[in-house]
Amino acid sequence: MVKVYSLTTCPWCDKVKKYLKSKGVEYQELNIETDDEAFKACQALTGDEAVPVVTKDDKNYVLGFDKAKIDELLGL
Amino acid sequence: MAKERIKKDVVIIGAGMAGLTAALYAGRMNLSVLVLESAIVGGQIANATGIENYPGLPNVSGKDLIAALQSQAENFGAVVDEFDEIQRVSLKEDPKIVETEEHIYEAETVIIATGMERRKLPLQEEAKYAGKGVHYCELCDGHLYQGKTIAVMGGGNAAVDAANFLTKYADKLYLIHRSKLRADEASQQKLRENPKASIMLETEIKALKGSSKLETVEILDKSTGKTETLAVDGIFVNIGVAPHTELFKDEVELASDGRIIAGEDCKTKLPGVFVAGDVREKEIRQLTTAAADGTTAAILAEKYISNKKRGKILW
Repeated sequence: MVKVYSLTTCPWCDKVKKYLKSKGVEYQELNIETDDEAFKACQALTGDEAVPVVTKDDKNYVLGFDKAKIDELLGL
Repeated sequence: MAKERIKKDVVIIGAGMAGLTAALYAGRMNLSVLVLESAIVGGQIANATGIENYPGLPNVSGKDLIAALQSQAENFGAVVDEFDEIQRVSLKEDPKIVETEEHIYEAETVIIATGMERRKLPLQEEAKYAGKGVHYCELCDGHLYQGKTIAVMGGGNAAVDAANFLTKYADKLYLIHRSKLRADEASQQKLRENPKASIMLETEIKALKGSSKLETVEILDKSTGKTETLAVDGIFVNIGVAPHTELFKDEVELASDGRIIAGEDCKTKLPGVFVAGDVREKEIRQLTTAAADGTTAAILAEKYISNKKRGKILW
């Protein structure tokens, strides 16, 4: 399952989610402001605290909205 | 594979207040309307936390206002595409060409409403600390500074409103600005009354320091000429905006500040090409004036198309 680490207020997170929806990709949304476990997992994955982060295997990820990189990561 | 060619009455470039208002009006006039946006739908106001000066809406977030406007425009048939990026435009032709990654749009009229983007902090160390203490989006990154000390750079409405918002997270906030504040008195007053906030005027950030993350900033007090070191966990930069006109620099006339030259009728010198919102060279740039430009451009675009169909190109 694709995971999207995000924040409720973050416009780029909304854009990533809209993009995945437009491509028919199902994803699990993890809010790093309200879910402490998600915050720690996101930080461990990227070594950073920024979102949005998209990952499929909890190893490789894309930080921010980068259409080409998301396509490559998810094989779109 | 060859790109699909699609005809449109109006292609609007930019989905901020001006672009979406133009889309709403053009859609209501039964024109076929496409809005292309490469960044965030809503533009600058997508980041605004509490808008208090939009007529009829005492306090609304940028996100809610734009979501309502987008839905209003889409209800009248406008299509907003925020994923198909523009590669080139050719506006001197008839029809005008807007080529994206996936399509070639042939447009009777084009409304440029690309708005502005935030200026980067003009210091060499900016790249080192970007995202690691230097930020440009309060809504995205403000939560990282729960209980911490931060600074906001800038003195306009966006900076002061950002500072007011960020005190929700930070224990201590410095507003650093090189001259006097330009923000509305109401926003300034709110910040002055906030016990977490200190306003430092006539000051400039001259250097950023820290190992892997930002730890301190060097501040020049312009009135005394003295420099001091201020410990901060992060800074949010709000030092103005620059127009998004790179795509059009060979097509339309630009002012020295990069904005596009057009009159109050939003007409450029190219027949069928309009410019609306903050990217148009003008003195007052507000949400209301962006909405007004979008209205003007859409109504005159309809008039232009209608005359053209009758064999008259009036410009």
